Amino acid sequence: MLKIRKFFRYDNIGLVFVLPAFIYMLVFVGYPIISNIILSFQNVTVKNLVAGSKEFVGLKNYQDLFQDTVFVNAIFNTLLFTVSCLVIQFIIGFALAVFFNQNFRLSKAIRGLLMMPWMIPITVTGLIFKFIFGTDVGVLNFALQSMGLIQNNIEWLTTPGTAMLAVIFANIWIGIPFNMILISTGLTTIPQELYESASIDGAGKLQKFIRITVPLLKPTIESVLILGFIYTFKVFDLVYVMTSGGPVNSTHMLSTYSYKLSFEMFKYSMGSAVANVLFLILLGVSMLYLRTTTKEEA
Amino acid sequence: MKLKKVTSLVMATMLVTMTLTGCGGAAAQESTEASAEEATEASAEESQVEEAATTEEMAEEASASGDVTIWYYWENESHQKALDEMIQGYNESQSNVSVEAKYVPFADFKKQLSIGASAGELPDLVILDNPDHASYASMGIFADLTGKFDVSNYYEGPVGSCTYDSKLYGVPFGSNCLALYYNKEMMDAAGATVPTTWDELKETASMLTTDKVSGLAFCSLQNEEGTFNFLPWVWSTGETSYTIDTEGGIQALTYVKELIDSGAMSKECINWTQGDVMNQFISGNVAMMINGPWQVPTMRAEAPDLKWEVALIPQYSQYASGLGGENYGVIAGGNEAGALDFLGYATADEQVKFMMNTMGYISSDKTIAETQFTDDAVMKLFVEQMQYAQPRGPLAEWPDVSDAISLAFNQVITGAATPEDAAKTAQGTIDSIVQ
Repeated sequence: MLKIRKFFRYDNIGLVFVLPAFIYMLVFVGYPIISNIILSFQNVTVKNLVAGSKEFVGLKNYQDLFQDTVFVNAIFNTLLFTVSCLVIQFIIGFALAVFFNQNFRLSKAIRGLLMMPWMIPITVTGLIFKFIFGTDVGVLNFALQSMGLIQNNIEWLTTPGTAMLAVIFANIWIGIPFNMILISTGLTTIPQELYESASIDGAGKLQKFIRITVPLLKPTIESVLILGFIYTFKVFDLVYVMTSGGPVNSTHMLSTYSYKLSFEMFKYSMGSAVANVLFLILLGVSMLYLRTTTKEEA
Repeated sequence: MKLKKVTSLVMATMLVTMTLTGCGGAAAQESTEASAEEATEASAEESQVEEAATTEEMAEEASASGDVTIWYYWENESHQKALDEMIQGYNESQSNVSVEAKYVPFADFKKQLSIGASAGELPDLVILDNPDHASYASMGIFADLTGKFDVSNYYEGPVGSCTYDSKLYGVPFGSNCLALYYNKEMMDAAGATVPTTWDELKETASMLTTDKVSGLAFCSLQNEEGTFNFLPWVWSTGETSYTIDTEGGIQALTYVKELIDSGAMSKECINWTQGDVMNQFISGNVAMMINGPWQVPTMRAEAPDLKWEVALIPQYSQYASGLGGENYGVIAGGNEAGALDFLGYATADEQVKFMMNTMGYISSDKTIAETQFTDDAVMKLFVEQMQYAQPRGPLAEWPDVSDAISLAFNQVITGAATPEDAAKTAQGTIDSIVQ
């Protein structure tokens, strides 16, 4: 009895408070993850989903996947998509955040309006961009042609290379407000006095930006980039609506390929193996994120 | 130290999964919907019990009772209304069984069925796309209807699609097939005649193509819908769905390539559903299209002034068309008696005629189909085309075969591979599935 009482004194009482959340996570997060991992080591298709023995095949699904050119391309596509979106979104978002931080007339209102892309449901955005990039009826081709920049219509969504560009472009449009608003928030936490004293010391605008803004924003920048990475890496709806992974599988991401394997071709185990690869990569990135944040706190 | 590592791992996991909630949220919403439905069902059941008690004598005779839930995927409003009307008629005609239909979007339909099957939460009756029937029958979710339902009057193709391991796992709902639609005014203006062969079709398509109008269009999506529209070209050369790397198969792929290369067909067909193709046709952007009879009611309603007619799909060496349509599948372990009772009502002449005519379908029941259309030239053409319609499958692994075929024509249309290479790749995949 004394031991129990001693156990709950001071710090350990916290464990009890954490317990409900822990149980919740175990049931609603832990269970699906573990059952998905088990599924990826079995050979489950339509034939044995409901009845029949689920054969254990070890790493065969993963071995098959890495032989599959569509899967290897999907990894490459996902990385290309994530990195290019992240870099461009971040640069434009940062520039806009600094710009709107100048507090000119209407700056707040316009900044609010710029949040629109982030608020529109992604399926709607996907459809809009699908129309914009249409070959014969798309407004982009119409505009380019009116300006005399192109002679013939570009087949944006029906040519493998340009389809990827179109999807990346649409996602950048969605992601800019996310980057802008988080960096804006970060900017407001930098005390004005620092800039004032820097001015007195004779620092120029560029120097102020590099020596004060960037270092003080480092934690914000890290969060923005890593959250952005996770958010972009698991893209599904936008690609599904705009191209469904086509043309000729050229825009398949890990998420869309996993969906296709599981729910269009009924290869449940292969689909879950792809999902697990996606999960592992994101887990690695999250670990990195937690490590950087905990280091700073310590 | 070790504990710290573990906690950080757990936290990382949480972070990832929290950001992965895109799907999670939707699923949660669905389950609440489902539970709400269950609640209403439960209360319905209670009132049913009361009713049953008062009409005990009747209930003794009919073994069917309780609730029957149907899943279907028709997005077309007139289809939905027709189904609702038939169900209402059934519910009013007797008091033992109460039927309720639930719409599940086509894109989610297979997913919902798979999830439902593994979670044991399925409806009692589904109306599903016929090429998928064999897959689900092999999964074991359908009740064996052999001997319980007379299908001797039905067309072979539709019955074949619900047969698996020589047992009957469903009842054909209704059939459709593809035919050639053409814009009469454009045809007359160009001085063209209705094509009957591939060469004529290509020529006519080129004649009808202008700056704003493509001569021909058919859905070429890289999925089942695209395969449905592409296979008639292969079949017309005398080949089957499983022999693509043959003279005929390559011929079909080359033909599509020539249509695209000559500009007579827009590359955008790889992003158009059959509905999109129809919309392009009625907007006057496309002069001819391959499409099904289910578009007819919509086209007549949306573009009453457009003058169009239909013809058999032009042939290479024989006429061919894709057999489409839906089947009823009774879920094993559900309310089988109730579902069968409803099927008895739904497959009676009067109901079938009503459903087929409202939806622009052709009855799978030969005797009904023959007398279904008397003065509708368009629908009569579709009945004629029906005799050349071939089923896809039936094969449990059909989705894999279909995927290989749709990849092949997408590679050819986008120029990613030559017809020969695409055919070879597809054949390799097909051979690994079908021995």
